[in-house]
Amino acid sequence: MNLWMQEWRLFSRQRLAMMALALLALLTSAALAAGIVEVSRQRAAIAAIPAAQAEDIAAVAAYVDRTKDAGSAAYYSFHPTWDAPAPLAFAALGMRDVAPYILRVRALGLEAQIYDGDIFNPELALPGRFDFAFVLVFLAPLFVIALFYDLVSGEREAGRLRTLDALPNGGRALWRRRSALRLALLWAALGIPFGIAALIEGVAGSTIAIVLALIPAYLLFWVALAVFVGRLRWNSVTNAATLAATWLVLVLIAPTLANVAINTAIPVDQGAEIALAQREAVNRAWDIPREDTMRRFYAGHPEWADSAPLGPDFHYKWYFAFHQNGDDSVHDRVRAYRSGLEARDAAGRALGWVLPSVGVQALLTRLAETDLTAQLGYQDRIRDFHRRLRAFYYGYLFQARPFERGDFGRLPRYQQYSFSDVRI
Amino acid sequence: MTPPSSLMTPSSSVTDPIRIDDLTLAYGAHRVLDRLSLAVPAGSITALLGGNGAGKSTTLSALLGFTRAQSGMVAVCGIDPAANPDEARRRIAYLPENVALYEHLSAVENVDYLLALSGQGAGQQPAGRSGHHRNRTAITDALAAAGLQDRAWDQRLGGFSKGMRQKVAIAVALLRQVPVLLLDEPTSGLDPRATADFNALLVAVRARGTAVLMVTHDLLSAADVADRIAFLEAGRVAHEVTASGPERFDVRALHARFQAVGAQMSDGQVSDAQENSGQVAA
Repeated sequence: MNLWMQEWRLFSRQRLAMMALALLALLTSAALAAGIVEVSRQRAAIAAIPAAQAEDIAAVAAYVDRTKDAGSAAYYSFHPTWDAPAPLAFAALGMRDVAPYILRVRALGLEAQIYDGDIFNPELALPGRFDFAFVLVFLAPLFVIALFYDLVSGEREAGRLRTLDALPNGGRALWRRRSALRLALLWAALGIPFGIAALIEGVAGSTIAIVLALIPAYLLFWVALAVFVGRLRWNSVTNAATLAATWLVLVLIAPTLANVAINTAIPVDQGAEIALAQREAVNRAWDIPREDTMRRFYAGHPEWADSAPLGPDFHYKWYFAFHQNGDDSVHDRVRAYRSGLEARDAAGRALGWVLPSVGVQALLTRLAETDLTAQLGYQDRIRDFHRRLRAFYYGYLFQARPFERGDFGRLPRYQQYSFSDVRI
Repeated sequence: MTPPSSLMTPSSSVTDPIRIDDLTLAYGAHRVLDRLSLAVPAGSITALLGGNGAGKSTTLSALLGFTRAQSGMVAVCGIDPAANPDEARRRIAYLPENVALYEHLSAVENVDYLLALSGQGAGQQPAGRSGHHRNRTAITDALAAAGLQDRAWDQRLGGFSKGMRQKVAIAVALLRQVPVLLLDEPTSGLDPRATADFNALLVAVRARGTAVLMVTHDLLSAADVADRIAFLEAGRVAHEVTASGPERFDVRALHARFQAVGAQMSDGQVSDAQENSGQVAA
């Protein structure tokens, strides 16, 4: 039996240590299972969209077919968009926990629809859903502390330290070996369940490799911290208390304070405020002369300016024009909001170089495409789709073309992008 | 007048497994060893006696390479432990005052583990079940030689007495076949029967040619088993006596000497006259 096997035998007889490892493996497996269930639920919801959409459109088509009115078709038709989870999303749900992954939009003003939910800085938010990222970032350090806090001090307190130090393979070589074994076991408790789940979910080999490398790198930080505290030659209780306090600061307090500091330094409107401003602009349009509305709309969208003048009766092109004007009125705020979010996100990522917990969470959510970048990407795709949707309906509305039943078949279709385009 | 500071008997030589020459060692401003000289030949037992703080444990620390001397020389089989600790420790078996082993391992497993950490035992055994069996046989033979009853071999150490734990540690020393055995207060806390057993074991170890250095407060045990007794005082050998053949030390005279050394340690006043008084004949 070689030295490693000897160390394993010694470790495996420590009931509490083995129970801690088993608990970590159990928590990891439970988190992965919860992630897979959640992602499967989201995929099922997305998979159900086409059938539901076909049913909705058929009902609208039956109604519109009587009037051939493109305005009615545009007003009553909802068009689904979705953000399908990336293969790794089960491991780090990130913003999928708080931001919509399915949004049904109409050709009306978009900003009031798109900001139904708000976007926060996920890397700095307090713990969210129970997923693999939560276990790795928040819980795994506690298990490192549990297995390392008395690595040397425990031997000293048991009276064995001098005996061990007096042996040729004792001393530093022994502590290195014991540390490496514990690190490997922690890695296995986290990495093996993750690897199995990732293979089941069809995650790319390179992504699995990155996560499997990220796990020991993050654990190593905590191991180094525990070894440093151990070198101060305090007793085991003091070591444990010091490490627990450090965990509290590095994993909870510092990221929360940093979040507050970043939010203060980079003020950003709430998305709901933009939605409210857009709605107010839309509502005001009912009280201003229709010509003013159309003049403003044509100024911004001259491609429809040759449309026939409005008659005395209600016309959907006026209605859609003031919705478009409402969107245009908050355009600058939308841009500022987005750049503010991106600035906060960049600050959060920069903080990841100082706070490993933040860095690991940011990297995991990036790999899983559940971070702010992914969420903004989804918004971009919604905007692009909505633009095409408007252009499609405007072609009928502003050119007074009848909307036939067959035209529903020519509606723009939302398309999910390819996950292989993701960059870290 | 310079007090006797050496155990360099006419028979000592540079080939002695344990050799300390003119060693001075201080912790900060406090000088613990003061030009200490000591040699333990192969196949002999030297007992180092002295009051608390006399430098006994520090002497062991120097031999184990735990501390670096300010001046002087320490050699274990010719190797400087401070410069080359692993090489020196390959030649040393060390038993601390309280032999603390792994309570959740059995006696056999403890020996196996400590042998592995010594770079011996399992690592040198042939692979496979036969190798494992031979390894176990060697361990149980050593445990038997150390006097541990066979029913205790596979028991976890949780319920072992100090004497039983020492036997496990001695079994490791026997298996390692090292030339040097260092003992720190080995008989403290042992009952008379266990002390006698332990001393018998030491005699057997000596017979194998091992140089044994025993730090102890137990004068009776030292007188019973040691070939030489050195009284350490303020970091140097204040007095030394030797015994050879069947006749042993005069315990009463040794006790008087020991008490005198203890008193000097207590009041911190050491004079040349005192250092040289109470010479005890073998």
